[in-house]
Amino acid sequence: MPHEVDVVVIGGGLLGSALSYYLSIQGVEVLLLERGELNREASGTNAGSFHFQIALHQLTANSSEAEEARLFGEVKLQLDAARLWAELEKELSADLGVHTTGGLMVAETKEELQVLRDKQRIEEMAGLETHVLTGSEMLDFAPYLSNSLSGIAYCPQEGHANPLIVGPIYAARAYENGAQVRTHCPVESIEIMGTSVPHRFAVRTPSGIIRCRRIVDAAGAWTSEVSSMVGLRLPMGLEGLHVNVTEPHEHFLNPMVQHIGKRLTLKQTSNDTFIIGGGWPARRENYPTRYSNYWDSAAGNIAIAVRVLPILKEVKLVRTWAGIWAYTKDFAPIVGESAIIPGFHVAMAPTGFTLGPMVAKLLAESMTSRSPNRLIPAAYSTDRGM
Amino acid sequence: MKISESDETRFDLAIVGGGPAGLVAAAEAASHGLSVALIDERVTFGGQIFKQVGVGFSIVNEFALSAEQQRGANLIRSIENPLIFKLTSTTVLAIEDSAILVVESGHAASRIEFKRLLIAPGAYDRPVAFPGWTLPGVITAGGAQTLVKTQRVSPGERILFAGSGPLALAFPAQMKSYGANVVLTLESGRRPRATDLPALLGAIPGNIHLLKDAAKYRWELIKHRVPMRYQRMIIGVGGESKVEYAVHAKVDRNWHPIAGTEERIEVDTVCVGYGFFPSTELFRLAGCSLTYKENLGGFCVDVDAWGQTSVENIFAAGDGAGVEGVYVATLQAKLAAIKIAEELGKVSSSSAVDLASESREGIRRKRKFQQFLFRMYSVGVGIYEICDAETTICRCESIKKEKIDRAIDTTSDVSVVKALTRAGMGLCQGRNCQRQIASLISQRHGVDIADVPLATPRFPVKPVSLGSIADETVKEEKYFIEA
Repeated sequence: MPHEVDVVVIGGGLLGSALSYYLSIQGVEVLLLERGELNREASGTNAGSFHFQIALHQLTANSSEAEEARLFGEVKLQLDAARLWAELEKELSADLGVHTTGGLMVAETKEELQVLRDKQRIEEMAGLETHVLTGSEMLDFAPYLSNSLSGIAYCPQEGHANPLIVGPIYAARAYENGAQVRTHCPVESIEIMGTSVPHRFAVRTPSGIIRCRRIVDAAGAWTSEVSSMVGLRLPMGLEGLHVNVTEPHEHFLNPMVQHIGKRLTLKQTSNDTFIIGGGWPARRENYPTRYSNYWDSAAGNIAIAVRVLPILKEVKLVRTWAGIWAYTKDFAPIVGESAIIPGFHVAMAPTGFTLGPMVAKLLAESMTSRSPNRLIPAAYSTDRGM
Repeated sequence: MKISESDETRFDLAIVGGGPAGLVAAAEAASHGLSVALIDERVTFGGQIFKQVGVGFSIVNEFALSAEQQRGANLIRSIENPLIFKLTSTTVLAIEDSAILVVESGHAASRIEFKRLLIAPGAYDRPVAFPGWTLPGVITAGGAQTLVKTQRVSPGERILFAGSGPLALAFPAQMKSYGANVVLTLESGRRPRATDLPALLGAIPGNIHLLKDAAKYRWELIKHRVPMRYQRMIIGVGGESKVEYAVHAKVDRNWHPIAGTEERIEVDTVCVGYGFFPSTELFRLAGCSLTYKENLGGFCVDVDAWGQTSVENIFAAGDGAGVEGVYVATLQAKLAAIKIAEELGKVSSSSAVDLASESREGIRRKRKFQQFLFRMYSVGVGIYEICDAETTICRCESIKKEKIDRAIDTTSDVSVVKALTRAGMGLCQGRNCQRQIASLISQRHGVDIADVPLATPRFPVKPVSLGSIADETVKEEKYFIEA
């Protein structure tokens, strides 16, 4: 364990590992600290989907110009993420299980179909390709769907990667580029000296105290817990997330399937199993106990799945798991250096699997840039919850 | 009557498992006036040991049945009580608060509420990985037993039995009695010596029938001229697309094969019986505490003298709570049923103690005898070390040892190994590979296998069709966030 380092990244999930990679290839001295094992929480317990088109969790009950502007900005960010994912296997020289399968957003009612049309307009403005299909056009395109659906939106760029390996590969590449990685090393407290001291942060761990110039809080669902060690309040929340996995079945479903009005995401993986989720709750437990599953989440989630894809009725559920979903109350990521505590940075992305690598790259660029503030939109401010 | 069509879904006692323990507990509880739901996933009650003949077979001569099947049939008659709601072909999927989620094959899942729950899930064959163990022709003792008991089918023409413990005596003898051709029996433990006699005699009072069983089995083997070889273990099988031969070797006291003692035998079937693992999935899902006890099969649920687990309204009995055999199982079940009747106000505390005394004495005696058996038949660590890099460890996902070894180089956490390799993600949900992986972690990182935690328990306990658990009545929570 080093006594002194330039940057300590707290959190060995996808975002912290990616950030360590992007910093280390710029020659920045990085120490990545993880209290458990790498990639074990939300980064490795999500379904690995790329959410590029506007999804249910981004919608609010009211529609206004401000709402549209927000959604427009989010689609822009999602497009940036799409570009990064398209290049990532080349960048990391690894098979990350990236598959561009396209994604379907289904609607069951007339009202939901209207939402598809409304969001398609915003996506088109932002430059994301989506198509709304109905009736026989819809069933010709996706014959496995229930014929009772009112319509679908199709986004060709959507797809998935393997969430179990992307984070660890980032960490391995960071290590190869000189970053130091310590697992089972929780941060107990952070002390701050005056700004005149170059290594002004003292990070206390059971393995010793590390002095550093800069800290990045990339603790995922626990980002606000770490930031509170230095007195920062972050506008974020936390939910448990239920996921179902089936036995393998003859492959017929290429695109990911989501629902614009109900909690459903569904896809057939390269192992031919189906992963079914979409935001059903899981029971909160205290770390390090894993969140546990509610039966009703399985029963309700699967009811929607078999309504949309009736063929699934005969397929067997093999496992469930519970992950964690961290979100920001205003949907925007939290990225950048705190103006209140210079040197202290935060990197947190809602829908973190899709956006995590992009947010990490953005922060790394800003941390190695001469004019860091220009790169990060004001809406992402670390201090906006204060 | 099907539970999915029944109005009555609340019971004083729900019992999971209709083997000897579940049957005895149901009869005892109902005799005290408790309403009982008795649930088993098979088509008939009786469990593994008292397994009844298969559906489609009819019994023309009851005397031709094995003694075990007759005892099972008698026990099954003892639950003819209107207070007992019988659910066969019904699988328990999950436990939530004071309810279990069950599904009867082909029907919708339903919730059964209970005041007390007795989990008596039994045990399953200890999976042993060795080169070639996934070839067709390798079968577990339990699998072979099911074939002969329910279908009257022998698993092969030339059978090698490899195993340890009382099982190594009982199964080949039983197979022989059904006419199956067992050509050789291997016992990894040592041959009993004259010096074992004092301990054996000390254990005898009340256990004569156990000794008789052992003697009978040995006699069966001798009668049918099956060679039985001690301190030898199977170390591999081979063949083109199925078992054609097996290799066995002499082992030291820790069951490590001794180089140069290998022998090859032409067989088409290898029957493996190195004991059992308790089925702990439901206990773990319910949050009951467990302790590792190698001689009882590995992780076992913690229980008090009545069979009460660390979770207030949940009890355990039978091999699922630690493999001690059918005698202990039925006595434990009786104790649990008495205690539950007391807790629900059907029996006074003092009469509960009276009612329990005979069972307690029985368990005490049987355990004394088992202590002796354990010394003779404890499992050697060598059993975990016979696979090579090419051996499949997780057969559901076809993951070889070399891949698992690479993951274990970076972690000592079973769940991380699972995430990195997919080992344990398949249909068996890790029942076959988790212990083997835990032992690889234990060897590589120098930790005791008892200290390697299991992967997180999750429902469903057994795979179930999506159509039977989909429930349109579940209300979706408000999901639109206030902007």
